[in-house]
Amino acid sequence: MAKQYDVLFRLLLLGDSGVGKTCLLCRFTDNEFHPSHISTIGVDFKMKTLEIDGIKVRIQIWDTAGQERYQTITKQYYRRAQGIFLVYDITSERSFQHIMKWASDVDEYAPDKVQKILVGNKSDEEQKRQVATAQGNKLAKAYGMDFFETSAFTNHNITESFTRLAELVLQANKKDLDVLRVSINDKLNLAALEEEEGVCDSSSDAQKTCWC
Amino acid sequence: GWGQQKAAGDSPSPRQSVRKNLEFEPLSTTALILEHRPANLPAKPAEEAEKHQQQYEEMVAQAKKRELREAQKRKKQLEDRVKQEENIGNAALTWSQEILPNWTTMCSSKRVKELWWQGVPPSVRGRVWSLAIGNDLNITHELYDICLARAKERWNASSAPSTTTDTDTGDAGSSHADREASLELIKLDISRTFPSLCIFQKGGPYHDVLHSILGAYTCYRPDVGYVQGMSFIAAVLILNMHTADAFIAFANLLNKPCQMAFYRVDHSLMLTYFAAFEVFFEENLPKLFAHFKSNNLTPDIYLIDWIFTLYSKSLPLDVACRVWDVFCRDGEEFLFRTALGILRLYEDVLTHMDFIHNAQFLTRLPEHINAHTLFSSIAAVSMSCRNRKWTQVLHTLQKDPERASPVLKR
Repeated sequence: MAKQYDVLFRLLLLGDSGVGKTCLLCRFTDNEFHPSHISTIGVDFKMKTLEIDGIKVRIQIWDTAGQERYQTITKQYYRRAQGIFLVYDITSERSFQHIMKWASDVDEYAPDKVQKILVGNKSDEEQKRQVATAQGNKLAKAYGMDFFETSAFTNHNITESFTRLAELVLQANKKDLDVLRVSINDKLNLAALEEEEGVCDSSSDAQKTCWC
Repeated sequence: GWGQQKAAGDSPSPRQSVRKNLEFEPLSTTALILEHRPANLPAKPAEEAEKHQQQYEEMVAQAKKRELREAQKRKKQLEDRVKQEENIGNAALTWSQEILPNWTTMCSSKRVKELWWQGVPPSVRGRVWSLAIGNDLNITHELYDICLARAKERWNASSAPSTTTDTDTGDAGSSHADREASLELIKLDISRTFPSLCIFQKGGPYHDVLHSILGAYTCYRPDVGYVQGMSFIAAVLILNMHTADAFIAFANLLNKPCQMAFYRVDHSLMLTYFAAFEVFFEENLPKLFAHFKSNNLTPDIYLIDWIFTLYSKSLPLDVACRVWDVFCRDGEEFLFRTALGILRLYEDVLTHMDFIHNAQFLTRLPEHINAHTLFSSIAAVSMSCRNRKWTQVLHTLQKDPERASPVLKR
């Protein structure tokens, strides 16, 4: 059986309850939109394989519950991520203010190399907007992050934002990746057996850092 | 015509699908087969005519047989349904006339326990749950009214234009903001509770009831407040009992040690529960346990959702209610036993999948899980490990937190 992907990494969706994390994800992986979504309790999972610069990238996306109370639990997952979406809702000033809290938690708990982008969702609800695009831009700049306004409803900037974060993670791990690709070619027969942590184990044997 | 009939029925009956095959043929097959050939063509040879006659008779005979078979099947289905309804009716009678009036003496008898395992009839389910959950908190209907009135005051206060928010500082300010956030979160979550049932959403018959119970609880237990997942528990209770009784059951249920640990997110105690679960997981399903371990698939990933919502989000509602039945009988242990029952039921699939596929599978279980199959699987789970029961294992781990699951500790 041919290996379905060359590299694998985890992306995490963070942000207040109701900003549309699950909807963004459903649009990205299944191209579906359900306005009355069921609440996420704990963490949910999706995956998708993208091709970036000829590399098959499988991304696992961890979709977390947004309520503050759950952060004790979800913080445990930060350190397993290579990329993080910080999501707010452009119709909710409060969800935007909370981005600072989310970002500082990420600094504290996620790996140093973690890549982040800022996402202002629900861009289709212009008449209810409370957060100007300029505010989002400014905050993203202050954190040195890329910024996207998205709409899961109209499918605006969804693929773009996911692909961008995937590219950033790929770039950040370029050095490891080159070594990894060599090792994949070397152990082509092993590759079929590798799954999930398997990739991690085989690369960490040869390397100082494990990035998946 | 048939076309209309087909469009109207959701699932075409076998008979309809047979008809569909004939759609392109003349209405009467007799016309086709038995008619002599038109006069301008040579007549059918006698042999061919006889063959056609024979084929026609075979078709008729088969059709008759099929109809008979289907009639028998329908009769059997009807009998089964009548029998099932009779069983439920009988069970309901036993529960309401024998067991419920003598609850304290009968509830722990072997016969009742067996009957309980088979599922509490929906007509008495609410009463059985109420009695089994109990009311250690001594909540009265009056107390519920008081809590609800206070919650309503807050809703009104927060919807009125506020002039104090800007000047609020310090603790008072933040707690005010917290309260507001939690009120908004309740509203948001109500619309996301069993959305497919369309009864809790705005304008639905139980929208206000669900809102009231969750609001009253935040006034009754401000230290716990509203936590996501609660809306599912309240909703299941509302479907089975009256509002004030649902509130009493809700508050008492959340007051149980396991539920308190989870809803207050007492992380170290949650880890202890996961560790105890892993002891029984390894005992019952060593192969799957090893597979999960090597894939770094920790129990928190699937147990959090299952325990927080008591399976009401992950299992079909009727199956979830059966789990609640025995959870009311056996307590928290049964929640973990159910988890092992689910893992055992899907062991073969799960041992052949990697981390992400397993995580996806367990956080979104198959929609068609059948109660009977699941309960057979749960029945085969042993909640005894080297002669130690669930509570003993849990207490030992609690005394020695170092033995709790090391994977999740930071």
